[in-house]
Amino acid sequence: MSLLDAIPSGVLPPLPVAIPLAVCALILMLSKRLHGHMPDILATLTALVASALCMLIATRAAESGPLIYWFGGWTPRDGHAVGIGFQIDAASAWIAAFIGLLYAAAFVFAWGYFTNVHGHFQVLMLLFLAAMTGFCFTRDLFNLFVWFEVMSVAAFALTAYRLEGSALSGALNFTVTNSLAGFMMLGGIGLIYARAGTLDYEGLRLAVAANARDPVVAAAFCLIAVALMIKAAMVPFQFWLADAHAVAPSPVSVIFSGAMVSLGLFGLAKLTWVVFSGSDRILAALSDAMIGLGSLTAILGGVMALRQRHLKRMLAFSTISHAGIMILGIGVLSQAGAGGLLVYLVGHGLVKGALFMVAGILLATRASIDEIGLRGLGRGIEPAGIAMALGGLLLAGLPVGLLDQGTHLMQGALDERGHRVALIATVLGCGLTGAAVLRGAARIFLGWGSVAGDEARAPSEDEQEKADRPLWLMLAPCLFLLALDLAAPAGPVEDLVRNAVPNFLHMSEPQTALPHGIAWLPWLSVAMAFAIAGYDLSRGHLPKVLLKLGSGVQAGPFRLLDAAHSGLIGDYVTWIVVGLALLAGRLALA
Amino acid sequence: MTPIMSALPFCVAAWLFAIGLYGIVTSRNYIHLVGCLGVCQSATYVLLLAVGYRWDSVAPIFYDHPPGTPAVDPVVQALVLTDIVVGATLTALLLVMAIQVQKRRGTLDPEELAPMKEQQAADACKGRVAEPQR
Repeated sequence: MSLLDAIPSGVLPPLPVAIPLAVCALILMLSKRLHGHMPDILATLTALVASALCMLIATRAAESGPLIYWFGGWTPRDGHAVGIGFQIDAASAWIAAFIGLLYAAAFVFAWGYFTNVHGHFQVLMLLFLAAMTGFCFTRDLFNLFVWFEVMSVAAFALTAYRLEGSALSGALNFTVTNSLAGFMMLGGIGLIYARAGTLDYEGLRLAVAANARDPVVAAAFCLIAVALMIKAAMVPFQFWLADAHAVAPSPVSVIFSGAMVSLGLFGLAKLTWVVFSGSDRILAALSDAMIGLGSLTAILGGVMALRQRHLKRMLAFSTISHAGIMILGIGVLSQAGAGGLLVYLVGHGLVKGALFMVAGILLATRASIDEIGLRGLGRGIEPAGIAMALGGLLLAGLPVGLLDQGTHLMQGALDERGHRVALIATVLGCGLTGAAVLRGAARIFLGWGSVAGDEARAPSEDEQEKADRPLWLMLAPCLFLLALDLAAPAGPVEDLVRNAVPNFLHMSEPQTALPHGIAWLPWLSVAMAFAIAGYDLSRGHLPKVLLKLGSGVQAGPFRLLDAAHSGLIGDYVTWIVVGLALLAGRLALA
Repeated sequence: MTPIMSALPFCVAAWLFAIGLYGIVTSRNYIHLVGCLGVCQSATYVLLLAVGYRWDSVAPIFYDHPPGTPAVDPVVQALVLTDIVVGATLTALLLVMAIQVQKRRGTLDPEELAPMKEQQAADACKGRVAEPQR
């Protein structure tokens, strides 16, 4: 630590972005000379260093306020920002530190996966890491857009990595929808620049407060919010996610589900509070839209997760569901809500990352990802089964660990503001996604559930990943992530929410007493998960009447849902237009 | 400058974005779809340039003008340049993917390329599980 302490705060902010970029260039330059595991080692170390630097920034920011850095020394003149700056508060730095750790785990998990590609996988991943860190740190709207695009381009290339039929179709859907998101964001940036004449968050904040009822500002917000909600896979923008996450290599899916999707929400939360909170009109519309769409997303993602047999696709839908729960933390417009969002983001990233690693272990050791095809084939890799069941329980809301602390804060905030429907949606989302994962774990590792329900009709595909990797090397990062989630101490996390979140939100009057969630709610969702998974697994033994009742309830609307996830890019873009129109309409009415 | 003239570029931008979206929604060929995405992106160029345009002013190059001469906003022009770079990257990546799709599947029609439709669930099942109960 003494070496780290010697780094002055003045030069610290750009390092977590610059170091991965420099190592990218180095690996590319030496790609022909780096043999064996050298790219793996370099990439893992870089991610760890970036994460450690972010932790250092976080502790410094907690002591002496946000670290500000102006590139090229272009400090603001007369209160007018000319240059581009990073402003790093403790909460943003902790999120970036978590992302660095997740990358390190993903690199270890992918050890030896991509040996014959001259380190190109590591280059793309490090670029992805640098973009995410920059996205967290920046205080300039256009700079945010640039990181958003770098993140997207790296993600597109990583999705299409396998260059096979379905991977390419999934990547094309992902690329087109997220490129449209980028264009909308840029359009929004253009509009707000027309009013504010600056791109610096502080300048924008003043301009928004001065033009609170200006339709141009509202339109700018609408476009930027839709762009970030496409990234965050809110209904009705969620379609690309299941296609892309299901076909990406599993170490990449770890990052997609664990960090990329939730970063969209992180960006939205930051912009909402720092830039757009000066306009009552926008805040009112935003609160309604986020609570409504978030509740819908949480339930729909859960229902769809339960109807999948392709494990990665199932986990992708569960990510959609949990992203829906997270956005409620923005919509509730309180410090506890935003704090809950940030804690939930980290907890969910750890658990979902571990679950995608279990899927990767099955792909590598059992050469399949199909829940029904894998029934009973989990013998011999029981630790993976335990990890999967534990992950399922944590998703379902088992009241222990970081994810539960996030749920607790979020449910407390929702309860405090009287959003009953949203509160029920969080329980349903947790219960349904937990049930899907538990059902998969029991079917694969215990061989239960010989009669399949509706999930048998879901799309699936034979797929496998590079096999001759040691099991312990794949299990270690998976268990590490779960252990990290479980070991997070409750006291310090709550202190962090109390002290760091007001800085993150630029809030003048911090809340000292955080609301507490209802203690029995998590148990309700866990019980629900067990009940649904149990019902699905015991189809062979249940009386016919009960099964008929179950399928009768599921038949109509759920088939329509399946049909909506058509995999057709034209349909997805139509849904994006519908969503854009909905949000614009709500803003116009406000 | 009349109000019509100042509103025109914004209308053009909205129109470009809308027809681009229409093209993407109805496209039956990925190359055509990539072109439509380019049309959508042109909307952002027009919008940004319109935002920064000042009537009766020069390009923001002060080599042969004294500093202080009214000039159009250079910031948006920098944004448009960045946007063009992003657009080139995206188009290149999409075209690469389109070529690979054509090589592997022999078609460029999105309707025939929906992800994970090639192998229906029944095949992947391999008879391990009884038929789903109605």
